[in-house]
Amino acid sequence: MKVSSRALPWLLLAPALAATVLLVLAPVAQTLWLSLHDVILFRPKSQPFVGFGNYVAVLNDPMFWESLGHSVVWVVVSVALQFGLGLATALLLNRRFAWRGVARALVIVPWALPSVIIGLVWTWMLDFNLGLLNQIGVRMGLLDAPVAWLARPDTAMAAVILAVVWQGFPFFAVTLLAGLQAIPREHYEAASIDGASTFASFVHVTLPGLAPVIATALLLRMIWVSNSLDLILVMTGGGPGTTTHTLPLYAFLKAWSGANYGYGSALAVVLTLLLLVVVIAYARRGMRDAPA
Amino acid sequence: MKRLRLFLGTEVPLLGILAFALGPWVWMMLSSIRPDEELTHSPVSLIPGALTLVHHIELLQRTSFASNLLDSLVVAVGAVTLGLLLSLPAAYAFSRFRFPGRRLLRVQFLVVNMFPVVLLVLPLFFLLRRLGLLDTYVALIAGHATFTLPFAIWLMTSYIDGIPPDLDEAAMIDGATGVQVLRLVILPLVVPGMVAVGIYLFIASWNEYLFALMLAGRNVRTVTVALQMFIGENEIHWGLLTAGGTLVALPAVVLFLFAQKHLVGGLTGGAVKG
Amino acid sequence: MQRRTLLASTTAALAAAPLARPHAQKPTTVRWWYHFDDPKASPDALVQAFEKANPDLKIQAESIPWGGGADYDTRLYTSIIAQNAPDAAMVKFNNLPRLMEMDALADLGKHIDGWAGKADISADLWRLHTAPDGKRYYIPLQYVVLYLYVRQDWLAQKGVKLPGTFDEFLTAGKAMTEGDRWGFGLRGGAGGHDHWCSFVLGGGAKMEKGGLVSPAALAANRWFIELYTKQKIIPPSAPNDGFQQIIANLKAGRTGMTIHHIGSANDMVAALGDGITAVPVPRGPQGQGWTSFGDGSNAVLAQSKVQEAAWRWVAWLSTAEANVAFNKLSGQVTVTTSGAKTWDVQPKRFMDATVGSLPIAAVLPQTAQTADFTRTVWPQTTQKALLGQISPDDMMGVFEKHYFG
Repeated sequence: MKVSSRALPWLLLAPALAATVLLVLAPVAQTLWLSLHDVILFRPKSQPFVGFGNYVAVLNDPMFWESLGHSVVWVVVSVALQFGLGLATALLLNRRFAWRGVARALVIVPWALPSVIIGLVWTWMLDFNLGLLNQIGVRMGLLDAPVAWLARPDTAMAAVILAVVWQGFPFFAVTLLAGLQAIPREHYEAASIDGASTFASFVHVTLPGLAPVIATALLLRMIWVSNSLDLILVMTGGGPGTTTHTLPLYAFLKAWSGANYGYGSALAVVLTLLLLVVVIAYARRGMRDAPA
Repeated sequence: MKRLRLFLGTEVPLLGILAFALGPWVWMMLSSIRPDEELTHSPVSLIPGALTLVHHIELLQRTSFASNLLDSLVVAVGAVTLGLLLSLPAAYAFSRFRFPGRRLLRVQFLVVNMFPVVLLVLPLFFLLRRLGLLDTYVALIAGHATFTLPFAIWLMTSYIDGIPPDLDEAAMIDGATGVQVLRLVILPLVVPGMVAVGIYLFIASWNEYLFALMLAGRNVRTVTVALQMFIGENEIHWGLLTAGGTLVALPAVVLFLFAQKHLVGGLTGGAVKG
Repeated sequence: MQRRTLLASTTAALAAAPLARPHAQKPTTVRWWYHFDDPKASPDALVQAFEKANPDLKIQAESIPWGGGADYDTRLYTSIIAQNAPDAAMVKFNNLPRLMEMDALADLGKHIDGWAGKADISADLWRLHTAPDGKRYYIPLQYVVLYLYVRQDWLAQKGVKLPGTFDEFLTAGKAMTEGDRWGFGLRGGAGGHDHWCSFVLGGGAKMEKGGLVSPAALAANRWFIELYTKQKIIPPSAPNDGFQQIIANLKAGRTGMTIHHIGSANDMVAALGDGITAVPVPRGPQGQGWTSFGDGSNAVLAQSKVQEAAWRWVAWLSTAEANVAFNKLSGQVTVTTSGAKTWDVQPKRFMDATVGSLPIAAVLPQTAQTADFTRTVWPQTTQKALLGQISPDDMMGVFEKHYFG
């Protein structure tokens, strides 16, 4: 059977597209539609159409802007740290040493744990009275007195970021490690014949070879971290006050605890649009240099 | 000298990273083998004063954790299989074919994934109820595989992008069809990428909570839902929770211990040369 | 319809004895949702006992994760909206306004009035379980009342008496605060409104228009916030502390008092022995007081096609022996008068403090605002006030606006 090369890509894409349309696109469309209504979960009979009313309200909502600010810090700082640590780990795990296999397997432990466990364990380790970190810090003289990490506005965000970095850096380590395998060994050999230092061959061989995977991994992780709320929900619930109150958390609390599903949906749509801007900027830069 | 450099330059920093990665897990493991009264002792003793397996025994004998592990395994393996089956051809199409709407479609896959899932659960619940799939393996497998699909396709595409196109062009010239190229040329070379995407799919499914809570729960109950049962309204069962938390990381680690053997470089290099 | 009236008139008989039915009929299945704090507790034995006495019924019990209340509620509301709700479910007062607006609940009034077990539940409990519209949708199942845990051994050392008033509470708190030890473990994270209510609603604020910003209300709230900011009898971690922290801190000897209920009493005694006791939460300056009634009820869902069968199951769970057995699983207190007489699950002093708290036991208004208040508005606003980001008076202003516009 010969399939025309015109139809082939579509045939290859069809199953993935069908699944996405049915299970993702349809619910997204429904939520979009709901965001144009005044949907209060416990008033199923009265859901008047309000047009862009929810969106106008979102833009005039100071809590929205505050949450957006927190989201930006949360995403930028935590993704940068995860990436840095993950890249370093991948490079180290790509070298040859006796216990490499075990090291590779063990490094994914944080990633392999459910968020609720991660949230509770870090909450406990950071605890003011019974936390391991305060105890070690005080004993080693790093801290004068225990610090209530999660209850102080100046440390709470750093504390939840620490937890998400711990959870996320193995993702970068594994994806970048796999990406490193695609770089032909000859390129390194050629570089070392030219007398390049380790650092030079990293800049001129490793980074360019890894660039597509780095770009994809960064983008995917950014989207994931932007939408993730479970660690924050478990560790601080957005507090103290509103110090760690991010956009997806706000959308979640509004839609479910506040039962205002229409407003929560509008918040979610705005968050998606904001992410879309970032992705389009990326796609314009990153996809142009793909082999045509 | 070379040994020392390897030790200082590679093994020491890695030990540091592993200490960071494993520290909280080890702390959890140590908590799970302590008697309850030690858990709230102040100051905390680093070394358990007494060892007990009572929490692990309770976990496996008096809760449904063991069968929940099995449910999670079925769902995760199913999601990995389905996810790879869907994403591999799609990624191949994106990487190797130029067709109208390609870029738009690719971005589309990402866009749908930017939407916070907490707001999609209600419509999904309706949909699966209409299809009669609530509380089945199929519901969770399809849900997990589909919602990780964008990530899988994008990651896989960038791995296939890394395979020199000369290879499949050569095969094409020899008369291979597109599907044959995918099977005979791309597939063997993209194994590291499949390992990375596969482990990603496995972990994403393994750790997923919201769908597992809302779209299943009685006939199919995954470990994430089971662990949540240890957090009551007025009580957290630390012993059970830490015992469960310790165990729950193991399948992915063991899986990766075997799979990581395929993360070896130089394959493509050799192939290009030949 | 005919069948329903017939059954309603014979409910008492139905609850007690199985109805003679043509044999070989397939039993009616009742889906029931529950949540227990202890994952090792299973209602299987109760279900079997019920099914043995009622061979025409089959109970399908589903445990639903509590998830701080959010998970349970989310599942319940979703299933109702999607017409996939269980026939009966454990519910809380704070669900009631929303469930009523959704017309999700069956009116149990007639069933209750014809039920033999009604008299075994105190009038106080029935009063609390009557909805704002006068109907009865909930049947009492379990309860707790919040009281004050106190380290009586510490107080004895200092020669300070057990606190009964706000002033005595402050004195006791100051006496016990020293070094890395604090007088009171305040729950400042989600769910901590219970602590706040005891001191502020108990201190003169009222849940009515203007009642949260009256001079008495503002003064009571300032006094409450100053326990943290000025008197410093509360550990610095309070703004993020949940129930596990306040209990662990008390057990570990880092705090001398906290507000919780009898569900944690056995744990406390295991850790602290006779050093720990409980008293009703302190009374305000004018002798008034407020403590949180921790409710737990069953409801029958309106969309159930087997409402009578569901009622028989939930009614049976609230009868003497079954209810005692149920509460041994759930870790709370039986609602039956006969069961309470023989209650020996916790040491007597904790049951005394529970019963002694009943006169001031109350719940937040059963309006649609309360769920969002306890989950979001209270913790966010109170934490800001504790941290000095807003004034205590502004905090009360936010609450007033949330409840009364």
